[in-house]
Amino acid sequence: MVKVIFTENLKRHIDCPPCEVEAASVAEALAKVFAAHPRLGSYILDDQGGLRKHVMVTVDNNLILDRESLSDPLDQNSEVYVLQALSGG
Amino acid sequence: MLTDEQLLKYSRQIMLPQIDIAGQEALLNSHLLIIGLGGLGAPVAMYLAAAGVGELTLIDDDKVDLSNLQRQIIHQFESIGKDKVESAKITALSLNPETRINIINYRPGEEEMSTLIEQANVVIDCCDNFSTRFMLNRICHNYRVPLVSGAAIRWEGQLSTYTYEQGTPCYRCLYEEDAFNDQTCTQNGVVAPLVGVIGSMQAMEAIKLISGTGHTVTGRLMLFDGMDMSWREIRFKPRPACPVCS
Ligand SMILES: [Zn+2]
Repeated sequence: MVKVIFTENLKRHIDCPPCEVEAASVAEALAKVFAAHPRLGSYILDDQGGLRKHVMVTVDNNLILDRESLSDPLDQNSEVYVLQALSGG
Repeated sequence: MLTDEQLLKYSRQIMLPQIDIAGQEALLNSHLLIIGLGGLGAPVAMYLAAAGVGELTLIDDDKVDLSNLQRQIIHQFESIGKDKVESAKITALSLNPETRINIINYRPGEEEMSTLIEQANVVIDCCDNFSTRFMLNRICHNYRVPLVSGAAIRWEGQLSTYTYEQGTPCYRCLYEEDAFNDQTCTQNGVVAPLVGVIGSMQAMEAIKLISGTGHTVTGRLMLFDGMDMSWREIRFKPRPACPVCS
């Protein structure tokens, strides 16, 4: 199972518990999570299904390359981590 | 040549073989720019002054407010109402009177900032907004001046260093430009020692860069979660279509 985890920071805006899904790509994993949490989906993705500008996604702690269609592949036990850029100082 | 007083003052650092006399001399001969003298800039300026960085240029257009003192430990109660750079200078000089400190109490535009950065050895980004962060990255990339970037809010912090060497990513490779999404500590809150954790690490990165030792967090984004007391390290590469560095 692929694990999908959201940064602590996002939890303040929206409910986003860690999830486990079967998926072969980042797009597929997020689609499955967002099917159960639609509000979370619209916070993370834009109308075209790409990542919103302040959001980043990693697979096994490597930043994904495809922000538009989220085609980065997953292994069976991959961890997808969703985080947000911070600007506070 | 270090004086006898300097040899004693910096002895605990000089005795580290990775720093030694040569590293200490490099620090004393260096000029660092600190952008923002709030939560992150406070420990950065204090540690770098104390550690013997020769010249610091402090930039911030804000004044000290009562609500800053909970975490911006370079400012004192008596400094409320003063320019943050002025207040920071007083504290830094009390730690190390031989530091040369320049202060700028307004926001320089891109042209003036370019002139300032061109003359610096390392830039330390402790500011509170994305538009300044992207501007610093553009200029630092242009002049190949290393940039140590920290950010902190609530219980979470982020840290990375950009050296702009061949094959290493820049800030814009990591973050999409989006100036409309600033979350400030003023509006969201921040736990006091969080800025100390991230700011101290920024100072550490700067000291390594100047003394030419160790490995910086280039190509890595360090994420700190104070609630779990955990670090996560994310690796990232230059983006082929990066508008700044590609
Ligand atoms: Zn870049």
